[in-house]
Amino acid sequence: MSDLLLGARMAFSGGRDGWARAVLTAFGVGIGVALLLLAAAVPATLQARQARGDARYDFRLGEQLPAAANTLLVSTFDTEFRDRPVRGRILRPEGPQAPLPPGVAALPRAGEVVVSPALKKLLDSPDRDLFAPRLGHPEVIGTIGPQGLAGPHELAFYLGSDTLTIDGSHRTDVFGGGPPGEEFGPTLILLVVIIFVVLLLPIAVFLGAAVRFGGEPRERRLAALRLVGADRRMTHRIAAGEAMVGALLGIVVGGLLFAIGRQLVPLVTLWNISVYADDVRPSPPIVALIVVAVPVTAVVVSLIALRRVAIEPLGVTRRAASTRRRLWWRLIPPVIGLVLLAPLVNGVSAVGAVYTRYQVAAGAVLLLIGAVTLLPWLIDLLVRRLGGGPVAWQLAIRRLQLDSATSARLVSGIAVAVAGTIGLQMLFAGVQRQYTTETGEDTTRATSHVQLFNIPDGSAAIRQLLAVPGVTGGTGTLWAGIVRDGSSPDQASAGFLRIGDCPALAEYAELDRCVDGDVFRSLGPPDGGPSVDAFGPGTQVAVGERETPWTLPADTRTVPARASPIGWQRSEILATPGAIEAGRIGPLSVDTYLDFDRDDADTLERLRNTAAQLSRSSWVGTLSGTTQADRLTTIQRGLYIGIVVTLLLIGVSMLVGLLEQLRERRRLLAMLVAVGTRRATLAWSVFWQTVVPVLIGLTVAVGFGLALGSVLLRMVNMPISVSWPVIGMSTGLAAAAVLLVTGLGLPALWRLMRPAGLRTE
Amino acid sequence: MTSEPLLVADQLTKSFGPTTALERASVQIMAGEVVAVMGPSGSGKSTLLHCLAGIVAPDSGQVRYQGRDIGAMSDTARSALRRGEFGFVFQFGQLVPELTCLENVALPLRLNRLGRRAAERRAAEWLARLEVSEVAGKRPGEISGGQGQRVAVARALVTAPKVIFADEPTGALDSLNGERVMRLLTDAARQTGAAVVLVTHEARVAAYSDREVVVRDGRTRGMELAA
Repeated sequence: MSDLLLGARMAFSGGRDGWARAVLTAFGVGIGVALLLLAAAVPATLQARQARGDARYDFRLGEQLPAAANTLLVSTFDTEFRDRPVRGRILRPEGPQAPLPPGVAALPRAGEVVVSPALKKLLDSPDRDLFAPRLGHPEVIGTIGPQGLAGPHELAFYLGSDTLTIDGSHRTDVFGGGPPGEEFGPTLILLVVIIFVVLLLPIAVFLGAAVRFGGEPRERRLAALRLVGADRRMTHRIAAGEAMVGALLGIVVGGLLFAIGRQLVPLVTLWNISVYADDVRPSPPIVALIVVAVPVTAVVVSLIALRRVAIEPLGVTRRAASTRRRLWWRLIPPVIGLVLLAPLVNGVSAVGAVYTRYQVAAGAVLLLIGAVTLLPWLIDLLVRRLGGGPVAWQLAIRRLQLDSATSARLVSGIAVAVAGTIGLQMLFAGVQRQYTTETGEDTTRATSHVQLFNIPDGSAAIRQLLAVPGVTGGTGTLWAGIVRDGSSPDQASAGFLRIGDCPALAEYAELDRCVDGDVFRSLGPPDGGPSVDAFGPGTQVAVGERETPWTLPADTRTVPARASPIGWQRSEILATPGAIEAGRIGPLSVDTYLDFDRDDADTLERLRNTAAQLSRSSWVGTLSGTTQADRLTTIQRGLYIGIVVTLLLIGVSMLVGLLEQLRERRRLLAMLVAVGTRRATLAWSVFWQTVVPVLIGLTVAVGFGLALGSVLLRMVNMPISVSWPVIGMSTGLAAAAVLLVTGLGLPALWRLMRPAGLRTE
Repeated sequence: MTSEPLLVADQLTKSFGPTTALERASVQIMAGEVVAVMGPSGSGKSTLLHCLAGIVAPDSGQVRYQGRDIGAMSDTARSALRRGEFGFVFQFGQLVPELTCLENVALPLRLNRLGRRAAERRAAEWLARLEVSEVAGKRPGEISGGQGQRVAVARALVTAPKVIFADEPTGALDSLNGERVMRLLTDAARQTGAAVVLVTHEARVAAYSDREVVVRDGRTRGMELAA
């Protein structure tokens, strides 16, 4: 115990240097611990978001409630603002005990609105005119509290109304009880498992590197202790004590970094997801595991590192300095990984089973660990063969030849992250095809589709939409239901009538010729809605809610239906304005297809405002070729966020490692400058020393990434295909992180290169 | 030996925080002479050497090399001066551990843009003159302290400098090795006409010099600059 305590004291001995070393170790370990805590908090964070989402759920399944003192009419008024979803609800209480949505202090009355803090900020900004009109410029009477929002930056509002009716709304007497979420399929579970592996493995690798910071001075100190009588076992115990104290300090720093990061979390919104600080809570058992595992790992890693050196009273010698690294044991993890994954290569339909999940996770982990174990051997092998070149190159290569392990440790974290990302991206590219559905929308024919329901003057609405600033063109039609006169509105006798000029109707049918006054029977495919068989020429029909009588003219022509710009192709009656007077029919619904510059986001917002003013139950959307399943999009976003955060933190860890290396060599650097070495030469040497292992690491990462991706694709029965832009992006991102680290390390290098560093007294 | 001094330190004062390392210290070095700067530990000897070599800038006073004020030079010019005109031997930590001894000796030449082969050829010649040819392919960690110092001397001399600054060059060596290093250093310097500024606290080492300057509490004695 006294040896352990001596080691603990030694962690801080050595004055400023000792403290600097302890702080660097603590910071390095701290970053790893903070990341682990963050990862451990992910499930609770998602759960908290889900719980708040459920708590404000306002739809009641089953039989409709009767109006009562405790009921509330709710109409969904969701919209978007600059690609950010806006959750909107129109509320009309039917009695004094109407329920309050979570986070709302009082129900808004007509002309009033309760908004989320983020929407309040928007309404107080110069952009307010691009949003406020769609709400009708109500008075903001309060903000929604955190318990009623998914995240701090969510845009949401509750708008009061005194005109809302049960038509177009639903009745509720309580908020809460969301529907069951979309189930994760076996492939998606596979993705989630691999994402966790890819994000957590680099952190573990970096923890291993961080606990070795300050290794060389530690060995010198141990040699000094041997001189005064410490035996080998005692030095090992002292080293263990020193490593443990660094790790414990790292846990404290990690806890602090996590606490600080937690407070900063609400400031960040990534892909429309924002999180409250209170939601980021790691589960206590995992926290306990981290607190125990990190110091134990630190001690084990330190002792393993000491096996490679002989600490004698007169100094330290490295036992393995001249022996080549062995390959055989480095191949074991990836081979076992492949053996575990191989049985699943023909499909993972049973991946939902716990056993298979573990098999996939273990296989992927071992395959990726292969990148970590093979990298030092490969760097050693390649660097031995390098030589020549200018002084900077020579200094870097010789340094790597003498000690490539430190660089390999720092690079292996990045290599694992990149290998995992490439593997996952390959799987995503394959799975995307499975989960991406073609919308059938034709983006060449229109930019936006606006739909309004039951408008008193639809023609005027179309004119207003076409007149929105920024809209360059478009077509609009009015439509309503029709029933053959004297029939009950069943499948055989009910249909749709669409009214528009010839260019507008041409979006719905193949019109060989068309003049005002023409009427057409458009024949769609069998699954294209109600048939028009019952509506032959001369048929009398009742149109719309008012059942306005109208007779199909005798010269009504039958034409084939055409898929509209949003991909709908259905049977309906098409009439030009000359054939039927729309004004006498009563309320009609409106379909408009509008053109504008896709990059002009303001036009879309103005359209939304105009549409909302015309009808609360309007729909404004931009046309898009494909759509993805929500779950897949969420997982992909999760991966992107995770990879960016991991790379950033790995970059910080690398910077700490680089500073540590520079600090240990400051006397040598000062001497080199004293003899006239150019600063640029030393800067280039640091650059090459970082870049060479990183290049080798990235090459290994690409190899392992492709292997992992191929295996994963085979597991979901997808053909193997490689997305080189994705590989380029992943490796480029990692390379950028390395360059950034080198750049950030340069100021420290300049400082350490001062010749005054030679001074020892 | 010309009558004009090669290197002049005039009224140098240098403090590190509250500690005054030099206080109006003056010294002049003539071309080709070996000057021992002596004094007890912490007296300011090394600081004087660092100021003379343009490694550390004095708070006040002036250092002139061949009549040029070193303090007025840019950092780049000072580096070029150290690279081309000066050579250095320190007590420890001076050889780059990852380079072989041959590469260490060739380093200053390569920094002066000489090609690798030519630099290493000349480095090999100097290793032979310093009687350490056998360690050419070894790294500093694989050779003895005495051999390391002789490699360092070879490195200091390889560029044919005008001044060699040696800071306790035998401080880490036994007396036999120390004697050998000093003999090789001073002989080689005299052959090439280089001046040597030798910081030491050992009279035995100082005996190799032509004259001595004593530094005590940051002040020089024994050879004040003539007005």
